[in-house]
Amino acid sequence: MRKLPVYILIDTSGSMRGEPIEAVKAGLNSLFKSLIRDPHALDSIYISILTFDREAKILLPLSELNNNLVLPEIPPLESSPTNLGEALQLMCQLYSKEVKKSSLEAKGDWLPVAVIMTDGSPSDTMLFEQMCETLKSNAYPFSRIIGCAAGPKAKTEPLKKFATDVVFLETMDSNSFSQFWQWVSQSFSRLSQNTSREVDELPPPPEEIKLVL
Amino acid sequence: MSLVTIQAKDGASVEFIKKDPKQGGVKDVYFSPDRSYVVAFYRKELDFGSKERLERLVGNYRVGIFSKQGAEYWKNLFRWPERIVEYEKKTGIVVPVYQPNFFFPENTTLAGAEKEGKWFTSAKNFNRFVPEGEKGNLLSYLRICINLSRAVRRLHAAGLAHSDLSYKNCLVDPKTGDACIIDIDGLVVPNLFAPDVLGTPDFMAPEVVTTMKLDPKDPNRKYPCRETDQHALAILIYQYLFHRHPLRGSKVYSDDTEIQESLEMGEKALFIEHPTDTSNRYKIQKNDKDFLPWIDTGKLPYKIMGPYLKELFEQAFIKGLHTPSERPSADDWEAGLIKTADLVQPCLNKDCVKKWYVFDNSTKPVCPYCGTKFKGQLPVFDLYSSHDGKNFRADNHRLMIYNNQYLYLWHVFRNVFPNEKLPDSQKKPVAYFSFHKNQWIMINQTLDSLVDLTNNKPIPKGSAVPLTNGLKLQLSQEQFGRVVNVSLVKA
Repeated sequence: MRKLPVYILIDTSGSMRGEPIEAVKAGLNSLFKSLIRDPHALDSIYISILTFDREAKILLPLSELNNNLVLPEIPPLESSPTNLGEALQLMCQLYSKEVKKSSLEAKGDWLPVAVIMTDGSPSDTMLFEQMCETLKSNAYPFSRIIGCAAGPKAKTEPLKKFATDVVFLETMDSNSFSQFWQWVSQSFSRLSQNTSREVDELPPPPEEIKLVL
Repeated sequence: MSLVTIQAKDGASVEFIKKDPKQGGVKDVYFSPDRSYVVAFYRKELDFGSKERLERLVGNYRVGIFSKQGAEYWKNLFRWPERIVEYEKKTGIVVPVYQPNFFFPENTTLAGAEKEGKWFTSAKNFNRFVPEGEKGNLLSYLRICINLSRAVRRLHAAGLAHSDLSYKNCLVDPKTGDACIIDIDGLVVPNLFAPDVLGTPDFMAPEVVTTMKLDPKDPNRKYPCRETDQHALAILIYQYLFHRHPLRGSKVYSDDTEIQESLEMGEKALFIEHPTDTSNRYKIQKNDKDFLPWIDTGKLPYKIMGPYLKELFEQAFIKGLHTPSERPSADDWEAGLIKTADLVQPCLNKDCVKKWYVFDNSTKPVCPYCGTKFKGQLPVFDLYSSHDGKNFRADNHRLMIYNNQYLYLWHVFRNVFPNEKLPDSQKKPVAYFSFHKNQWIMINQTLDSLVDLTNNKPIPKGSAVPLTNGLKLQLSQEQFGRVVNVSLVKA
């Protein structure tokens, strides 16, 4: 049966230290809790979590969503640059290995979903620009790339360069994060119902989250 | 907590707690303080037509269904909008909440989650995530399908179409066999109220998928209607009975996911179990163990559900798949499912996942789910009825007998049907069966004129008749009374 891979990229650079990263952790937990109660998600979703700061790392390799899945701890953050380009590159490398592409011989997996959470601009600008081009070229087709600009100073411009949806949280507190995750989990849920584009309408974001695109 | 009290259009006072709405596709849903109803507000402003439709839904249509025969019955099968409210320039509807058994109970891993269809239609969810006590058995799934068919039949009889029958809009409880249709506000009335959704992907009829790229005003574009409901109903029934989708096989049309999707559900849709065109059979893959045995159409083919449903599945997924007028009606499904319920027998393996199976019409019955063979004697009743009181013809209706099973009036009389119109007085059993002292017997409880035709002997109330091969019984001498022919299968 076909799987629906979901890649979650989390900014672990220094500026996320404190409440922002704690809110991400709490949000991930609540996302996970709601997904393991959603029959559409359980039927097909596989989750992978990547972190990026000075370098991009795999925090959770692509794993089947189920109630035994344990989310790994995000290690303490240090002062470091935001290598978003590298993270996107790692995601694409994993994509090549992990996502079964459709061919004329056999159906592949459902097109993956990516969620990128960051509060700042990428530090590795050259690689970042290059990856935006790659993502736009459709070499790694995603059904949806959700960019989330988190925090009061977050910029949406970098995210707009590659994401299909960009949201930003005006104020960064646990409550707005939990609403964001709720929205994201509903989006997954719809995708795993294989909704085709024409009838595909995301639930509108809850208050405090604005859909930029 | 902010309690809001408003007045509905019909004058009734409506209260809701304005906090944490549950977001549906087009509505935000708030609970009343006593949680007996919800108030669901449309996020977008409704156009004149949609408001008019709501008016009729809570007005004429509701009154039409809930004031006639079987009103109480329908309350359990539909969550029907009862009132219209306006609040902060938004239109909302007041709908009763679901029965508690449509939520997983507190002591389970899924406590509080809604029992929506996807839990039970997906083989993986059914195998791994549905708590053991909530899986139901073959009989309860038949009952779910009967309830859904009946509800859809009632909507269609009123000239309405649901337009979006799907996992989320049909709540089911395999523990009891209850089912309930929700989200009724999208109802379609042909030529009067157009649908506002195209449906849910797994359930959209091929003609809707094929034409959805056409301009909305193009006369060739197809929209949800009664025939597309019939397609969706057939898909739901197949999925509840087999835990797999009838059109999602292994055939590839394109390496583009989206084109593949629109062809396999639309123009090129092909039954995975088509008897002659086998190109869309599902090929089992290495990582499929969580989905077995349900996705194995070789092991559990559609014909294990017996002759009545076999024919209906063929009509729905072969003949009628691309020819909407050939699709079985909800009424056909209801009748076929009810007759199929008479063909089941208990599996001798007490750990069998389905507990029951449909008699395969052979002399060596085997449970298809666990492979347990039947041992012993199996009485079979073939029902005959007459239009002139003299010549009896086969009704194409068979009843399998098992220990402690009952005979009902709808077996006795050709003109009695088990549905919402049946008065309580006619729902009581009239005879029962028992394997007693090494012999099958039928004990007459309330039949006034039961006669053993073979031995020309009346069987009075309170007495028993041994069931032997070739025995003929007249169940009633009154008009419409049936004759049965008894066969004993020895296995």
